Amino acid sequence: MVVDFLQTLINGLSAGAAYALLGVGFTLMFGVMRRLNLSYGATLMFGGYLGALLAAKAGHLLPSGALALLAAVVTVAGAIVAGLYVERLCFAPLRGRSGVAAMVSSFAVWMQIEQLAGLLLPLHTNPYPAPFDLAPMNIAGLTLRPEHLLTIVVAALAALLLHRLLTRSRFGLALRTLSDSEAAAQAVGIDARRVTLVAFLLASALGGVGAWLVLASNQQVTPMFGMWSTAKGLVAMMLGGLGSIPGAVVGGLLLGLVEAFGQALFGPQVRELIAYGMLFLVLVVRPGGLYGRAGFDLDLAARERL
Amino acid sequence: MSDFLIGLISNIGMISFVALSAYLLLISGSISFGQQAYFGIGAYAAGVATALWDWPLAVGLGFGGLLGGLGGGLVGWLTRRLHGIYFAIATLAFAEFIRVALELWRYQRMVDGELVGPDGPNGFNGIRRAFEDGWDPQAFMILICTLLAATLLALMLLERNRAGVAVRGTGADPLLARLLGVDVARLRVCVATAAGTIAGLGGGLYAHLNTYIEPRLFDVMLGVHALAYGLIGGLGTALGPLIGVLVDIGILESSRLFHGWRMVVFGGLVALLLIWRPRGLLDETTVHRLQALVFSARRRA
Repeated sequence: MVVDFLQTLINGLSAGAAYALLGVGFTLMFGVMRRLNLSYGATLMFGGYLGALLAAKAGHLLPSGALALLAAVVTVAGAIVAGLYVERLCFAPLRGRSGVAAMVSSFAVWMQIEQLAGLLLPLHTNPYPAPFDLAPMNIAGLTLRPEHLLTIVVAALAALLLHRLLTRSRFGLALRTLSDSEAAAQAVGIDARRVTLVAFLLASALGGVGAWLVLASNQQVTPMFGMWSTAKGLVAMMLGGLGSIPGAVVGGLLLGLVEAFGQALFGPQVRELIAYGMLFLVLVVRPGGLYGRAGFDLDLAARERL
Repeated sequence: MSDFLIGLISNIGMISFVALSAYLLLISGSISFGQQAYFGIGAYAAGVATALWDWPLAVGLGFGGLLGGLGGGLVGWLTRRLHGIYFAIATLAFAEFIRVALELWRYQRMVDGELVGPDGPNGFNGIRRAFEDGWDPQAFMILICTLLAATLLALMLLERNRAGVAVRGTGADPLLARLLGVDVARLRVCVATAAGTIAGLGGGLYAHLNTYIEPRLFDVMLGVHALAYGLIGGLGTALGPLIGVLVDIGILESSRLFHGWRMVVFGGLVALLLIWRPRGLLDETTVHRLQALVFSARRRA
């Protein structure tokens, strides 16, 4: 009983660690633009497809360790390049103008990216290189997959690095200022366009790392990964309260745990149902997020219209 | 008329219902990623009503619209205080909830020696009421177009009276609309109900034309396409979403010209168009100018 509980806890935390990275990526982009980048998941899927393409073309030439590392680099780089394209085409030209148009335009680019990925590799399940060739460890009845440990460690490291970057660097200060108030950022001479672009690429890199962790433990990539990661990232971001980076981390972990326990109690089919039901309920009952800002003001949020 | 053309026009007509549903919310200032849910609810409800309960086609279609409207109204009421991104994500969450719930829903019964009804992820087949009642594809196409024309007319009449002004006013500035005496929360629930009804009606038609539906058809892709159609065609008039559907399904999907590259071309076109005209081809300003032109020409005559 206790073992089952601990096992579910570990599964949930490792899934949640990846969700947290996706949620933080969404939050970073939202903070500097006040816009949703719907094609975020698609850019990550594109990175994953490049990783799978590498494995398909050069998999037999490289030792598996080098291949796994190279796939990680290619995935993150692919996500960054795709993210750059999205920012330049959808968000930079529409900055300060229609938010709906930017969101729909990012969705249009999603379709582009998906079809481009389909020209590289078939749009169904493609093998993705695994990080190691280790068997799951058994400790006191618990099954520990090395990929799960890797996910937790890498995600924690990424979060720590991001925290240092945001709190200890001039760029971090500029980013936080811009997220708090665009007018204040303008008054002190912050180049909003440049900070937005860099924050966007940073979010793509974080998402690329998250995507690599998920794909490497699944050892496969499908076009569904675009929708999947968009959904998970959005839920993680909203559960913790829109705009808060610690909130997104908590939201991601919470989502992972709720899904894992939901699956353990009611079976795999109910897993997704719980995640979406929880998101809807939180938005209706506590729009500021579970973890959320204390004095959340809906009227103020209304004025922040898209 | 060739079968291909009949199928194409029917398709354009049905998708236009979801596009109009998303458009109605857009002009009231709400972005919904979830109108596909009411399309799906309408499709399943109408299908169950005619295929399993043996209701007449018209009553079944009405039932689809009714349940779509009830769903839209319920979500609209629950989210009446949410704006912008909060509303958008709440509708997305609800729609995905419905889609996953439909994948779990099994309700089958023997009809004429065949198991008919929703069967989770395997879909729902055997919705043959329309063709058993003697509707051929061409007649059904005319039915779709008639209902679509009626919906369009209703929306255009709405925009000519006070309620329409209140809807557009709320879309432009909810705070100002409230100061001018519009009950914004109530108006948003009404708009969400009407939008749900339109989508539900379209869903019922979809189920009866294709005789087979599955939960996967009602995923976010459909909902965001519906939004995109309004934004391509323009938010100034209810004809805007129709233009969007025509451009996507009528030109790009049906022509083999961009085979293999269709999404790349369409996606790029939409992104560029939205930089140039963020509120679509026929946006409010253009529509007002056109109206002024027509008005002054008429006065001169």
